[in-house]
Formats: sequence, C-alpha cells, structure tokens
Amino acid sequence: MRSISGEFKEAREHLMTLFIQGKGSEAFSEEHAKIVDHYFRRCHQESKIGHLLFKDKALFALLAVGGYGRMELCLKSDIDILILFGKKIPSEAKKLVEEIFYPLWDLGLELGYAIRSVKDCIRLCMDDFEVLTSMTDSRFICGDSPSYLSLMEALQKEVVSKKAVAYGRWLEEQYKIRTEIFGDASHLLEPNLKEGIGGLRDYHHLLWTAKAYCNLRIPGDLEYSGLLSHNEFQGLIHHVGFMRLVRNHLHYLAGRKKDRLGFEVQEEIAQRLGFRDQGDFLAVEQFMGELHTCMTSVKSLNRSFVSTYLPIRSRDRFVQATFVSKDLHIDQGQIRFDSAKAILSNPHLLMDSFEQSSALGCPLSFEARRLVREFLFLVDDRFRKSKKAVQCFLSIINGSNTFKTLEQMYETGFLEAFIPEFARIKERVQFDTYHIYPVGSHSLETVRYLKNLRHQKELHLIDVFSELPRSEPLFLAGLFHDIGKTGKDHARKGEAISRNILQRFGYDKNRSEDVLFLVRHHLLLVETAMRRDLRDEKAVVQCARTVGDIGRLKMLYLLTWADSKATGPRAWNDWIANMVLELFFKILHILDRGELAGSDATQRVNRTMNMVRRSMYQRGGGEDLDAFFEVMPPRYLLNTPPRDIVNHVFLAQDLNKRFREEGTIAYRLESRPNDSDDCFELTFLSKDRPGLFSDMAGVLALHNINILSADICTWKDGTAVDVFKVSRPLDRLHPEETWERVKKDWAKRLEGKLSLGYRLGQKAEASFLSKPRKPTTTPKVILDNRSSDFFTLIEVFADDRVGLLYLITRTLFDLRLNIRTAKISTKGDQAADVFYVEDMEGQKVEDRGQVKEIERALLHQLRQL
Amino acid sequence: MKKIEIIIKPFKLDDVKAGLLNLGVKGLTVSEVRGFGRQRGHKEVYRAAEYQVDFVSKVKIEVVIESDLVPEAVAIIKEKARTGQIGDGKIFIMPVEEVIRIRTGETGKEAI
Repeated sequence: MRSISGEFKEAREHLMTLFIQGKGSEAFSEEHAKIVDHYFRRCHQESKIGHLLFKDKALFALLAVGGYGRMELCLKSDIDILILFGKKIPSEAKKLVEEIFYPLWDLGLELGYAIRSVKDCIRLCMDDFEVLTSMTDSRFICGDSPSYLSLMEALQKEVVSKKAVAYGRWLEEQYKIRTEIFGDASHLLEPNLKEGIGGLRDYHHLLWTAKAYCNLRIPGDLEYSGLLSHNEFQGLIHHVGFMRLVRNHLHYLAGRKKDRLGFEVQEEIAQRLGFRDQGDFLAVEQFMGELHTCMTSVKSLNRSFVSTYLPIRSRDRFVQATFVSKDLHIDQGQIRFDSAKAILSNPHLLMDSFEQSSALGCPLSFEARRLVREFLFLVDDRFRKSKKAVQCFLSIINGSNTFKTLEQMYETGFLEAFIPEFARIKERVQFDTYHIYPVGSHSLETVRYLKNLRHQKELHLIDVFSELPRSEPLFLAGLFHDIGKTGKDHARKGEAISRNILQRFGYDKNRSEDVLFLVRHHLLLVETAMRRDLRDEKAVVQCARTVGDIGRLKMLYLLTWADSKATGPRAWNDWIANMVLELFFKILHILDRGELAGSDATQRVNRTMNMVRRSMYQRGGGEDLDAFFEVMPPRYLLNTPPRDIVNHVFLAQDLNKRFREEGTIAYRLESRPNDSDDCFELTFLSKDRPGLFSDMAGVLALHNINILSADICTWKDGTAVDVFKVSRPLDRLHPEETWERVKKDWAKRLEGKLSLGYRLGQKAEASFLSKPRKPTTTPKVILDNRSSDFFTLIEVFADDRVGLLYLITRTLFDLRLNIRTAKISTKGDQAADVFYVEDMEGQKVEDRGQVKEIERALLHQLRQL
Repeated sequence: MKKIEIIIKPFKLDDVKAGLLNLGVKGLTVSEVRGFGRQRGHKEVYRAAEYQVDFVSKVKIEVVIESDLVPEAVAIIKEKARTGQIGDGKIFIMPVEEVIRIRTGETGKEAI
C-alpha cells in the first residue's frame, strides 16, 4: 500500500505544481478527483483484506460521495468516501479502513468515510435529507457494482418518490437558511463562493432538484434531456467552472479549506487569473465584476429552474391557467408566453410580459425568461424609442412589485437591452468596504428602498414622501443616479448620460429636469452635512440655492436616504442621518421663507457678484475678491447695491492693510450727500466688538443726527459694515465740520474719554427744545425665533427720535446680545427696526426667562422716552 | 503620558487629524458620537408631528501622547477646530497610568 500512496502523493504534487504555474488550472478539480479515484482503485486491487472479504462473499463497493462524487475536488476540499456493503457489514471492515485510509491521513488529507449497508443508507436518507443529497451525488469508483445499483434504485423508489414533497420543502428551506446566513453572494463584496446565494451550492441545488424530479444522472443530462438549452447549459458550466477555479486559488492562498472570498486575497487572485488594470478600472474590480456576473447568472438560473421543477405548494398552485392578455397567460402562478412565434411577430410582448409581472405580482416562468433572453436581439433602437415600450416601463416604475420586476429585467439582460447605458455599471464593483453592492445592484436596491418607503419606521420619511406631487422622477433618479460611475465626478457624467436616456424616452421636459437635477446633486446633502458647518447660515443658504425649490428638496432628501441605505451600513447610521435631517430642515425653512434662496434671490445675488467682480477688476483691486465674497453674509450680498459692495471691499482692504502694518484697531467713516432723498449717507467700517453699533448710534445722537435708516451687518471675518442714512446736520452750509466732530468724538470714545450715557443725559436736560413729546403710539417689541434657524429676530416699533437707536442697541448690549445684522427704517415719525441677534455663545435666545427679560427691558427703555 | 479626548464638529476632523499627525502623533482613535452641551438639540414640527432633534452629531478623537507634547497639541487642536461659533467642542486631558503594546509587551513611552 505504501508504494501506492507514494505514487498518489507524487501525482498529486505534480498536479499542484501545474496549478501554481497556472497550467490546466481550469480542470484542476476534475483531475484531482481522478487521481484520488486512481488511488482507491489501486488500493482495491491490492488490498489483502479486500481479497479475504471477497472470498467470504462479503461484497462491497467504494463510492465517492458529496463534492468528490460530483468530481469537484478543490485543493483543500474534504474527500468523502463510502464503503458500501450489499448486505451485512463484516467485522473485518474496520481493518479495511486502516489499510486504505491511513496512508491518506498520513499525507494530511481531510478524509471522511462511512461504512454502511444499503439498508443503513436508506434508513439514514429517510431521516436526514442532507445524507440524501450526498447520496444522490454518489459515484461508483470500484468494487461490487450491483450493490451500488441496488442502492441507487432503492433511493429513488423508497425515499425520493415517497418523500418528494417533504424533500422539496426541505430543499427550499435550505435555500432560505443560506440566504439568511450567507446572503446574496452575487451582490456581496466578500462573497461566500460555496454557500452564498449564487455560489456553487446553487448549482448543487439545481442538480439535486433535477436528480430527484427529472431523472437526471449526470450534469450533462441537463442539456440532453432538454431541461436547459445549449446556451444555458454551456453558460452554467462556464460560470461554475470559474467559481471553482477561484475557490481553488482561495484554498491555495489560505492554505486551508475556505469559502469566503475576503478582501485580503482578491487582488492577488485577480492577478493570478490574468486580470490587469485598465486605466482606473482596477484588475480586482474587473475580476469581482466577472465573478458577480457568474453568480448572478447561476442564481437566476437556479431560482427559475427550482421554481419550475420543485414540487412544493402543490395545492395553492393548483390554479387554472388564466389568460392575461393576447399571447400571455398565467399558469401555476407564473407568466408565460403562448408561443415563441408570438414574440417574433410582436416584440413588444417582451415588455408586456414584465408589465404584467409587475401588475399581477407573478414572476415570469423559467421558460418565459429563457425566451426573453433569446429574443433580446429584438430590442433595437426602434423598440427603445417606441412610446408604447416607454409607457410600459414607466408603469412598472410607478406600479407595484417594481423591484422584483426590475430584478427580473436585470437578470434576463432585458434592462440593459432596453437601457444600454446600464451595461456600463451593471457589474461594476468598487474595491472598498464602503460600497457593499456592485453599482448595478446598488441602483436597483435604491429603487427598492424608495418603493418601500411606506413601510419605514421613520415617520418623517413617509410624511415627506406622501407630500410629493409626483414620485416618478424620484424613482427614475434612483435607478439612474450612479449611471455615470465610476471615476471622478460621476454625478455630472451621470446627468449627461441620463439626459440621453430621457430624450430617447421622449420624457416630459419638466420631469426630466427634476430627474437630471437629482442625478447631478445626489451627493449634495450628505457632502454638505459632513463637510460644512451647519451653524453657518451661508453654507446652508448656498445649498438651498442649489436645490432651488421645496419639491426638489424633498425628493433629494429621500434619494439621499435611499442611496445611502443601499450603499451599505457604513454609509448610513443615526449619526449621519441626524446631520442630514438637520440640514434638510434648515434648507426647508430657508426655502419656505424664500427670502434668501428663491430663484429670484439666487439670480440677484449672481448678478450682483458679477457686477462687483467686473467693476473691481476695472479698478484693479480684485485679487482677493473671492475671499471677501466668502465672508459676506447672504443677506448682505442680497440687499446691498453692487456699487456699495465695491466701496466696502476697498475700505475693508484698506482697513486690513492698516491693521497688518500698524497693528492698530482702525476704522473708516465716510460721508456723502444723497440729494435725491435730502439726506446724508454714512459708511462705517471697523473690526466688530460687542457694543460697537450702540457706540456709533450714541455718538451720532450726541450730534443731533437723526438716523433715518441703517443696514448693519458683520462679515464672517469680523468686519462690521454699517451704512446709515441720516438727516442733514443742522449746520447745512458746512456739513463736513459736523462729520469731523463726529470722528473726534469717536476717537475719544475709543480712548475711553467719552461717556455716552452721561453726555446724552446732560444734553437732554439742557435742551428743552428736544424735550420728549408725548408718544403717539405705544411702543411694541416682538421676539421671533421662528423666522431663522440661526438668529433670534427682535422687531421694535416706536416713535422715532434722536437717540432712539442708541437706547435700543445699548439695551441689547447690556443683555449680552450680539447684533449680527440689523435693518433700521423710519416711516414718517415711526421707527421700525429689525435686529438679527445671537447670544454670547452664538446661539439663538430660546430661554423663556431671557426672552421675557429682553422684551421688558426694551419696553421699559422705550417708555422712558 | 496623557490621554487627550477631543470632541469637535465633523467637518473639522481632517484639519485636526492633519495637525496632530504633523506634531508626530503616531495613532489616534476616531468615533462618531452624538450628544449635547451648550448647543442644545431642538424640536422640529413637520406636518403636525414633532421630531426631536435632541443630539448633535460630533466626532470624538482619542489620542495618547507624552506629557510634554500636550501644550503644543492643545494649541494645534484649538487652532484647527475653531470656527468661533457655538459647538466648536471641547478638549479633555487626563493622566494615563500605563500603556502596553499587546503584541510585544512593550510598555510606557515605547508603546505609544
């Protein structure tokens, strides 16, 4: 025996060497099985115990079972063997084991064996269908063939035919268990080659079904008996062969039996299989793409084969064949074509069958799918453009069972025949742990999430969805959003590709624009939420301007959610959901109010920026203009005339320069007459600090200058920009002298040499001319926390008079509020002021006590007047 | 040795990470966390239903460094994570008794 095992070892090592060199690796598993077969045959011939048993008429056979029986012996697969005795098992049988198997164990092979009689086998198979599957795969190697034949006959007669339904149920149950534990390998980035759905087990599953219910003996029978077409069978053998090859490489690299194709080996295996990088399309991505194609095809073939031949649910399937439409009918709950000829004369029937499948919730039968595959050539340009086909497609998109129908279209190749652009992403894999699906399946999954929105736990999703005037553009965008993958800027590429598709569809223009918008910006919300500060009004406003209207925002939000959910667990969790939701609400509020981000506002801001840019370049000072745009608050850009913005930028540049060079806190005050309104305009720039605005208002009041209106705001870089319209100074002939005095007082104020409270109080006592009049209207103060997510708005209405603004702003300063923006206006003798404030923490004022205090304090001051 | 725990706004992560790496920090741990401090959550009313947006999403960085590096590290974090707005976050510094590298059994400075 030792010499036989030596021979065996040599033969096996030779085969390994060839495999490592990449020679004949496709046939490895089969050759491997043959070498083992040879070993057993030789052992059988030479066996002393065998001869003894033969003399005693205790006849036995050696059977290969399980994977070895199917000639699928991978590099590190277990070798399962059965010693079958026709009748009783003699006591010498154990010695036979020592003789034949020990040498193999010594070589370190994983060997499993059993010694059974035919009766034992039958009894075991009745109780345990797992044994039955391995028995049905058994193969005679050598010994007493009548024993083997009687076993096979008994199996069929005693077990399979008696327990047909129970066995069928069990097979179905196993499929479910595999789905739960191993998932759909044709989608997964680290698929299980054997047990995953679409893996080798699917092929075995199909074989077991055919063996039990279609009298199949060897795989070749699938074709010979007409169960599969030539193409289907060849495809199956090719795909299974590829998976087995990958599995052999996996075993080799891991040095042990292993089925889960982890990331760590994928690149290496891709190289070994001869894949090479093509531009930015990595070898490993090509490899995984091909593997997924194999698995998808095996999965789909197995599913439809099993649903046709497995005798389960025999009762509830007992439905009379019903007529669905011309040339289509339902039999056993599956859609079927009346005849292949009908498709030839009416290609539209292909689309029709899917529409019916969607509407009725019945899958296409195995035969029907086969026909679809074979008649794909009928889907030509004319078909793709036909109104009828597009109409059907849209009704699938809008109807029920959308995902299941799309999946069937995807698996049969119909989807990429109808939308050829889909072919480029179908099996495109991204080699990372973030995207768990290939792009094509991910797109379908996204649609699935969108269609199943109603069953989500998050109520706001359902609310948002139910408010959409129409959902079709959203679903189409779900299907198309990644069609530009992969590579840089896939969203923009995807937009262009989608435009072609929609044009070919002759799709409604407005709706097309919605779809294209969604495709183009499908990452906007997530990117903004992750990369920008959501406390920054400007960031949110920019996002809101891109979105443009509420309907689109809602669709975009839902697409963001579905896209992320369909990407993988790392793309969506509470942490991200929380930020995206916050952004969603903030944009919603901004769009709701329309002030900053209506289409009108967006256009106006763009126009303003262009004009400012042009005029700055003409005057030769536009180098750092973009940095200035960046720090200007949205309201400022929206409401300030371009001419003024240019002026402010020049002043700010000057200010920054002086600050850099002299280190002093500088300020600029400019005045110019505004003849049309019979008033003066003051522009005041300085680095902001708490109380700055109230100081300026105070100094102006000290000089009897009445503030008619004011726009004040603080840029994000801390520059305060205040524009006042003020009444003409009393000294009408020499106004500039008044401004000089204002500047002098401002300097004193800065040096701490001027108390505004004291001076203004003294002034009021001294001058009976400016004695307070009786207020004609009661002053009013409103605190508004609803109008902005970023600031508390304080509105003040009161009789106008000199010093009013100083009083209000000093009170706000006293309450430690920061004025970010203010709009001061006067109508007749009424002042109406709005202040956008935040507290020292940069937050809105939401504490009730504080709100009350502000209102009371302001009213108290206003009544004093 | 000190452990520094830093809570910052998510979009500042890259800046702070780069700053710390520049300083010579060899490794750090990042987690996605939610919570609230002065920057409170708020309620949203949407179609008459209320949604509590209680917690704010933040990033937590944990890093262990030698004590003499702490002032510099803090300065860098402060510089990189500041927006001047509410919710810029916090830095916590605490003493570390011992560090052990599991693979080699090295301890102390070597194991950081």
